[in-house]
Amino acid sequence: MKRLLSATAMLLASAMMAQAEGELQLFNWGDYTSPELLAKFEKETGIKVTVTDYDSNDTALAKIEAGGAGFDLVVPSANYVPIYVEKGLVQELDLSKIPNHKNIAPEWLNVDYDPGRKYSIPWQWGTTGVAVNQKLYSGDINTSAIWLDPPPELVGKVNVTPEMNDVLAMATMYMGGEFCSDDAELMKKVRDKLIEAKPKWLSMDYGMTEKMSNNDVMASLYWNGAIFRARLANPDVKYGYPKEGYPLWMDQVMLLSDAKNVEEAYKFLDFIALPENAAMISAYARYANGIAGSEPFMPEDMKTAPEIVIPAELVSAGHFLSTCTGKGQEYITAIWTELQK
Amino acid sequence: MAERGFIVSRLPGFTTIALLVFAALYLPILVLVVFSFNGGDSLSQWGGFSFRWFAKAWENDQVKDATIRSLWLALVAALIATAVATAAALGTTRRKPFKGQTFIYVMINQPLMVPEIVTAVALLIFFAWFKVNLGYQGMGYLVAAHAGFCIPFAYLPIRARLESMDLTLETAAADLYATPWLTFRRVTFPLLLPGIIAGMMLAFVTSLDDVVITLFVKSAGQDTLPTYMLGQIRRQVSTEVYAISTMLLALTVVLLTAFFALTRKRD
Repeated sequence: MKRLLSATAMLLASAMMAQAEGELQLFNWGDYTSPELLAKFEKETGIKVTVTDYDSNDTALAKIEAGGAGFDLVVPSANYVPIYVEKGLVQELDLSKIPNHKNIAPEWLNVDYDPGRKYSIPWQWGTTGVAVNQKLYSGDINTSAIWLDPPPELVGKVNVTPEMNDVLAMATMYMGGEFCSDDAELMKKVRDKLIEAKPKWLSMDYGMTEKMSNNDVMASLYWNGAIFRARLANPDVKYGYPKEGYPLWMDQVMLLSDAKNVEEAYKFLDFIALPENAAMISAYARYANGIAGSEPFMPEDMKTAPEIVIPAELVSAGHFLSTCTGKGQEYITAIWTELQK
Repeated sequence: MAERGFIVSRLPGFTTIALLVFAALYLPILVLVVFSFNGGDSLSQWGGFSFRWFAKAWENDQVKDATIRSLWLALVAALIATAVATAAALGTTRRKPFKGQTFIYVMINQPLMVPEIVTAVALLIFFAWFKVNLGYQGMGYLVAAHAGFCIPFAYLPIRARLESMDLTLETAAADLYATPWLTFRRVTFPLLLPGIIAGMMLAFVTSLDDVVITLFVKSAGQDTLPTYMLGQIRRQVSTEVYAISTMLLALTVVLLTAFFALTRKRD
């Protein structure tokens, strides 16, 4: 009888443990999570991670705000982090449960949108810059002049990605201002510059990995990871960081207030802050992570890639875009609407 | 001209327009199917014939889960929608016109009129309340939503079939002392079956296809094939998405062929 009891107790305990080690619901951008990473996590902890996709920050926020969707972790972009915090949708992290928090690279620890990383663990980051096919133009490409004052070789062959914030930020910085400026004088100049440049563009479109590899487009405002893949297919493609200023972006993992699998979530947050695991994230989606010491674990072709490693003299030109509101936002929307016509 | 009557196919330019329409409809699909067998990494440059993207899609657990979920959801939603639609079609055709019939007709077809995004947002808020208060986050919500917007797609072909059916057969059955239920089972239902199957197929395909409502209603771990594919497109479309589309297309063609074979025998 005693034996039966203890056996039952053990069975119960193991069942409870199995449940505790059960599952984790990750809400992330599509095609952004390495399956190998999840397999390794499951092998080490016994926790099965289910990934559900979203395609924009707004969709993700809308679903989480409505409530009850059953997610534990979400991966918003930098300018959405304060929104999640202010609305109380995410909880402050108990850093004692994330020993690997110390691995967060110093430059990514005290970010404006989450000082000290009390709410978020870095996932991946990148830049928006200009890509140029060097066969056609071999001058200086570290400038927004490539698309705002195109050299004669590139006139009619430039693409501009239809991302309102990136386009307006780069144009404003080119004219000497900051993103979301409410200086009417300056914003008028930005508007005139964009309207003047537009006839010299070929298109306003996405899909540049493909089009730059095929020489369909000879220059474009685009994201670094995508241009990195284009360069692997077509060595003539080169990525530039405009010295006048270019946007930085980062996506980070946050723990939702109504998460059910909190302990599992902490294990995952700690897991991804370990350099070799962070490198797995990068190896899959081809963007840099924010974890110090992950470089030795990165794939060979990424370690020295000029699209991933920002040249030291251009690091300071990179800026995070603030969450824009008020007059600045009005100008941006008005200029963007006019530019779309 | 007048003595031959009005024949639409003799209008000038008929053939040209018809061919253009067919080309616009089917050429992109043909390109997609051809390129899903592309061995290279590029979407638009041919790198030799290969099944590698099919193999890759097949090995991808997320794709497999999403496919099974999509098919299961479409089947359950289509079954429910067809049952409801059949009852509704009988109720709106096999009896004397009654007050409020038009209202009911409009209500049934509401998903065809209201923009999908409006339904989606309404359902997001409505279901969120239940999800929070009941603690249930299962597939029930998706089934309910899909069955709901699939009803008109099942209803319209069934109603059309009912309206074109000969009423005298049912009257004759009643004359021969068949109970209403027996009349339905032995006379109406067999005659109506092609309409029911057509309605169910339409409902199935509509559910399989849905993005917007699914996107807003899905809970954790409930990606369907279309929402999975949407997530892929944002970053970089890969040939894997082409391969998945080709497989879906093949399934649709098989279903449609089966449907035509079935109904032709019956008529």
